[in-house]
Amino acid sequence: MQLVDMELTRSAGNVITAREAGLVACRRCTRVWPMGTAKCARCGSKLHPRAPKSLQRVWALWVAGLMFYIPANLYPMLQTRTLFEAKESTIVGGAIELAQSGAIGIAIVILAASVLIPVGKFMAIAFLALSVRRRGLLTPGQRHALYEIVEYVGRWSMVDVFVVAILSSLVQLSVVASINPGPASLTFAISVVFTMLSAQSLDSRLIWDEIEHLKD
Amino acid sequence: MSSPPDIQITSARRSIMERLSIVWLIPVTTLLIALGVAWQSYSDRGPLIQISFESASGIKAGETVLRYRDVNVGIVEEVGFSPLLQEVYVSVRLDKTIAPFVDDDAEFWVVRPVVTAQGVSGLGTVLSGVFIEGLWDKTPSGLVTNHVGLANAPLLKVGETGLQVVMRAQGSAVLSEGTPILFKGIKVGQLGRPRLGGNGAEAVADAIIYAPHDQLISSSTRFWDISGFSFKIGSGGAELGFSSLASLISGGITFENILSGGERISDGAQFDIYPDEAAARASIFSDSSGPTLELAVVFDENVSGLSAGSFVEYTGVRIGEVTSLRGIYDEAQFGDSRVRLLVSMEIRPERLGLAEGTTPAAALAFITDRVAEGLRARLATSSILTGGLKVELVQVDDAPPAAVVVPAEGMPILPSTANNIQDVAATAQGVLQRLNDLPIEELLGSAIVFLDNASELVASSDVQSVPGEIVGLIADARGVIGSDDVQKLPANLNALLAELQGTTGDLRRILDQIEQADTVSRLLAAIDAASTASKDVGEAFTGVPELMDQLSALTRTASALPLEKLVTDITAIVNTANDLLASEGAKALPEVLASALAEVDAVLAELRAGGVVENANRTFASTADAADAVAAATEDLPALVARIEALIDQASTTLADFSGSSEINRDVRSALREIQAAASAVTSLSRALERRPNSLILGR
Repeated sequence: MQLVDMELTRSAGNVITAREAGLVACRRCTRVWPMGTAKCARCGSKLHPRAPKSLQRVWALWVAGLMFYIPANLYPMLQTRTLFEAKESTIVGGAIELAQSGAIGIAIVILAASVLIPVGKFMAIAFLALSVRRRGLLTPGQRHALYEIVEYVGRWSMVDVFVVAILSSLVQLSVVASINPGPASLTFAISVVFTMLSAQSLDSRLIWDEIEHLKD
Repeated sequence: MSSPPDIQITSARRSIMERLSIVWLIPVTTLLIALGVAWQSYSDRGPLIQISFESASGIKAGETVLRYRDVNVGIVEEVGFSPLLQEVYVSVRLDKTIAPFVDDDAEFWVVRPVVTAQGVSGLGTVLSGVFIEGLWDKTPSGLVTNHVGLANAPLLKVGETGLQVVMRAQGSAVLSEGTPILFKGIKVGQLGRPRLGGNGAEAVADAIIYAPHDQLISSSTRFWDISGFSFKIGSGGAELGFSSLASLISGGITFENILSGGERISDGAQFDIYPDEAAARASIFSDSSGPTLELAVVFDENVSGLSAGSFVEYTGVRIGEVTSLRGIYDEAQFGDSRVRLLVSMEIRPERLGLAEGTTPAAALAFITDRVAEGLRARLATSSILTGGLKVELVQVDDAPPAAVVVPAEGMPILPSTANNIQDVAATAQGVLQRLNDLPIEELLGSAIVFLDNASELVASSDVQSVPGEIVGLIADARGVIGSDDVQKLPANLNALLAELQGTTGDLRRILDQIEQADTVSRLLAAIDAASTASKDVGEAFTGVPELMDQLSALTRTASALPLEKLVTDITAIVNTANDLLASEGAKALPEVLASALAEVDAVLAELRAGGVVENANRTFASTADAADAVAAATEDLPALVARIEALIDQASTTLADFSGSSEINRDVRSALREIQAAASAVTSLSRALERRPNSLILGR
């Protein structure tokens, strides 16, 4: 990372984009074709110098993800039923309970996976999508790094959903104890899926278009 | 390099549909779905009602459900407090469809697991947690949002009908929740949770008799407790009784229509539960359901023996009973720090003789008046054996003035007077003490001395000689009787009688002559002639009866000769002698007796010398003369008769209706009867003398 940063800052002036070089890359198989080629001859996918309506897709999926994220936090994630008690816990509520009962480490993991990462991802995607149009605080290299991080870390948000899925399938002891996924687990999963799609929809090449504008 | 501006221009001209990505459908669809769900859930949402409870034990917001016939019809959304924390408010989100039925009649209670002797209920709530059960009728009358929750489940469950009554425990009967009401061994109802009723003096409980058994209940129904067991030892042996094993553990109440023809009763009627069947049956005659007057009495003495249920009597009539007693300490009121006995009583006004339906206030006025006249309460012994007490209202004539005190709160207080308690132990002890104090030993000592003296007296020679002297006395008496003069008496009497017989014979002859003269027929003729003449006849005849009377008197005189007096005198002397023997001092007795005997001897000798018997003989002789005179007098009768005949001749037929039983005849006959009587008297006298000559002396 440090190497990249150094390189980016150093070479900000003489970096050129593929479009400037008259080339277009296939987004599926990464084969580079001369500008104007409509179809990748290797894998058959359409070639675009920039993905069409990329930002619209980002925003649409981002909104959908956010909409699903709201009930994911309001509704219970887990329904725990023991012999004498039925308990429902939301994501944050469960984490707080864990913290209160002493399991601070697990509480931090859950909070990071279920709250910090999704929220950070929403913010990062929104920031990247916005910064494509106007000049931001970060250099394109830094933004690209952020994009890479978002893409990489986003999938870990599913940890919570997996935990719920595993518990639900494992703890089914009839009357004595049972754990069932709450409605939040579904909406949370959908929300994560939408944010991942949203992040994928962002054409990372758009980040570098800024350099062209600077040159103009 | 040169193309981008062209691309930008063409892209700006594209229509909005081309410019917009299809992906936007996703968030739009999501939004639509979310809005749709939100709207649907909002429109499906039922109303919120508030139920107030004493406590919200086990109720959890969002978890506890409201059930009707075991179907969830709502869920608790919030549990909170009333503004001043008096109550807990439970907000319940009702199902929309059920809302109109939750009207004013709706009842709510919390179902919790309950384990009693009657069984276990609400077991499901052990696992699932408590729930609120609701009960409402089948007519939708509009939603009412504020309700008051019941502390306990109502007796009448959903879909059940029955009669709701109130039970009052009497005496030792015990109420407990869920106690079954049995009839012929079948459970027909049950008791609700008991509570203190009225002023805390009694326990009451709601009870339900399920339909159709409620038809059995009438105003003449009496309930009694069959729980536990009873054990009695009486003259008939020992008796152990219990109704059933279930009732032994869980209790039970049964009932019977003691009298026929009771009236139907409605919900809310009050019944008493008696401790046993006998009390229940007795109550029908002694009990009345009218209102009662409650009074209190403060007794200075704290005496054991009085208990709740003791009788209250007025002029011997039971007018009520003691309901409770406790100590009272009030230095300000009584002036000292002693603990007094405060007795609460329940008086039935109609027992006082007041009209039926008299209010307690009127009865209190009546008692207030009586108190002004001296009515006071006191404790009295009810049973000497057990020492049980009762409260007695008595009239105390010289009682210090007092009045019924009516405090601001609590019962009116009746003035009391000195108690009348008979302690059987104390009385028996008194009797024994008095027996103990008797001078028995002194008495025995005196008796022994007395007996010693008596035996000494009897042993003295004077006393021993008494029998010999008595024998001598009797010998003398026999000598007197055996004397010639006394023996001659019968012969003289016989002569007298012979003469009397002669006289009688003369009289008979005269009568014969009278009859032969055909007097009657002539009389009949004479009566016709002159009435005045008949009067003369009557006057003339008066002489005859007089003559007869004289004869009778003569005979009587003979009978009443002083012989009897003589005998009486002798008797008196003997009696005096007896008295002397009896009355003189013990030591002097022999001498006095001896002298008395000597006197008696002298008297007897005098008697013999005095010629008493001769006098008697002479008297009889003169009697004979008198009889001769009578005979002579009767000889004049023929002349008299002749004169009568002459009179009769003169008389005419005016006496025709005279019958044989004319006055003359009657007079003559009565005269004859008297003569006969005289003669028979003399005969009996002589006979008596013949038979028992000594009777003349002994007077018998």
